[in-house]
Amino acid sequence: MKSADRHMNAINTCISQWLRPDNPQLKLAIERSVDEDLFSFEDIKHQILALKQALTPDKIDRWVVKSGCTPNSLRNKTVMCLHAGNLPLVGLQDFLAVMISGADYTGKLSGKDPYLLPSLIKIFQENSVFQKSVFNTELQSFFNYKVDAWLFSGSKNNGSVVNNILLDNHVVSEDSPSLIRTAFFSAAFIDTFDKETVLDLTEAVFRYGGAGCRSVAIVVSPLNLNDIKCEFTDYVENFWLNNPQHQHPSRELAHRFALNKALGTNQAWLNDFLIEEGEEVPRNKFILTWMKGDFSTFSSVINNNLDGLQSAYSTAAYIGEHAGNKIIEPLSAAQKPPVWWKPDGIDTLNWLQKNLL
Amino acid sequence: MAEAIPDTEKYLFDARVSFLKKFEDVYDFQYKKNTIYRTFLNALGYSRKDSFSPETIPLIPVRAFKSGPILPDGYTAELTFRSSGTTSMKKSSHGIAKAEMYEKAISSEFYSHFPENEVIILALLPKYEENPESSLIWMVRYLINNDASGLSGFIQNDNPVDQHWIEQIVLSNKKLVLFGAAFGLIDFMDQQNPFDSLSLEVIETGGMKTHKREMSKEELRNRISDYFKIPKSSIHSEYGMCELHSQMYAIGSEWFTAPNWVKVSIRKADNPEHECEPGEEGKIGIIDLANLYSCPFLLTNDRGVMNENGNFRVLGRWDKENMRGCNFLIDTDSL
Repeated sequence: MKSADRHMNAINTCISQWLRPDNPQLKLAIERSVDEDLFSFEDIKHQILALKQALTPDKIDRWVVKSGCTPNSLRNKTVMCLHAGNLPLVGLQDFLAVMISGADYTGKLSGKDPYLLPSLIKIFQENSVFQKSVFNTELQSFFNYKVDAWLFSGSKNNGSVVNNILLDNHVVSEDSPSLIRTAFFSAAFIDTFDKETVLDLTEAVFRYGGAGCRSVAIVVSPLNLNDIKCEFTDYVENFWLNNPQHQHPSRELAHRFALNKALGTNQAWLNDFLIEEGEEVPRNKFILTWMKGDFSTFSSVINNNLDGLQSAYSTAAYIGEHAGNKIIEPLSAAQKPPVWWKPDGIDTLNWLQKNLL
Repeated sequence: MAEAIPDTEKYLFDARVSFLKKFEDVYDFQYKKNTIYRTFLNALGYSRKDSFSPETIPLIPVRAFKSGPILPDGYTAELTFRSSGTTSMKKSSHGIAKAEMYEKAISSEFYSHFPENEVIILALLPKYEENPESSLIWMVRYLINNDASGLSGFIQNDNPVDQHWIEQIVLSNKKLVLFGAAFGLIDFMDQQNPFDSLSLEVIETGGMKTHKREMSKEELRNRISDYFKIPKSSIHSEYGMCELHSQMYAIGSEWFTAPNWVKVSIRKADNPEHECEPGEEGKIGIIDLANLYSCPFLLTNDRGVMNENGNFRVLGRWDKENMRGCNFLIDTDSL
């Protein structure tokens, strides 16, 4: 068996061990995350179920083929991942990309998600998939630990702050490749309001309390908010019955609602979330903008917001179509991305190989 | 125009009348006459029977002005200012019901720092000049036109300052105040020679973001000091916005003070009905009582901090928290 095949087999074995229902390490990580109020049990469960669907050996192989990467080709390299913690296991794809590439892994874990990913990393360690791995929630612990490249998801400002810290502390050099992803929202076009669409839209907007760049922050629709808001609210309340929102907005959101009311802006106030008619992409959490418009309006929204936009979604009739510069993805996949999805349009596996080989 | 509350307007700029007295009168007027502000309060669960201090009064976010001017019932705008911004951005509109109040707010504060008839003003405000509805241009033009010597005026970066003009300013024995947008001053220092033999004070008005190269306020102040060979005590900042009647000045430093009819507070971003402690960053809240005929209770989207003396610093735009996406990636406690 070739080295690359052996490597992929080892990776698939680790993932399968990790996702086994009787894996005590994962169970403990979930319990600690819930006990310490880091995430809701329902959100973690949703993420694990989505990963079970996405991380099958054939799908991981498909990712490798799509990316054009040769597994285990970066054996002498070290890649640092600075993982986000806004959603459970949000950094998992970066970790897997490093594992598949064969590079050594250095992970700055988020203090907001310190248990779930380590439960997987430890299985990789036990199976000796990589030579060296270091992971920790404290950035200082990596100072003077030189890496060949680094992966990051955050804001542009954050990215340059982190870059300077890593440079100042000799973790990276001026010419170290870095992949900095800054998209912070997704958009959806909805022209029907049938049950399946509304269920998918509710999941796409309200899962994780609206956090994460794949969550829908703006809906463009020929339907008036006022015409659908009662029905939509029923679906949202039902969603919350099964998936109580883990984080709650601050008083600031009530001020936004009050201002909208004063200005006569159409809105739906859900206490823990605000849906408002408008044209601007909300930068804050717990807000969905509902924009009246047709498909060409949607395309304009896409093109005017390329800087922060992650994905454009819609229903079956539009999947695969172009909306501005984006190809429309299924709304139903917003919170269940395939393993080969490209954050900010870049395949991480392909990027690692191109920049480090 | 409908009748205002004449007493309040009469003593609005009078430092002998307490801020609290003026605040209560203005709040009373606003609750009765400003439908937008009253609806805002009601939607927050407050009614007429609730009383507020300047520290706790709900402040309306300045984006309210993007929907158009806010005027009390029965009032119309004599002047309308619009914020600058790209064509795709919605601009703020501020209706000024009484131009004389706007003039009074400008002159009362400016001349308290730079006495009338003792200064000549040169203004270097490229880009702003392209916006005919700029409140900054209107303010500076008003001060220039108010100079009886006739020596004040606008200057351009692409046109060297007439030496004869400078000689006349020197001969007048008055102080020269150079009003400059940050990017205009940087370009000026790159392209032109400093004025010679002048008693110079520089007021920078902000606007760094639009420049090709950003520099910190401290860097800018050092550069101005070196270039014009003036002490940093002669380098000042002005803070104002389209949605306000009044301006604030930081004299010789980065710390701003407010006129007697303005109260600035730093409000908690997650609950703007609470003030931050001195030293704690938050959103800059402004009660500008000269906004009597628009809305005086405003929450900006600027980031600021207050010191123990009640002076405040402007730290940029508020873009820190509550962001979507992965902006919590680097936990600040781990840096």
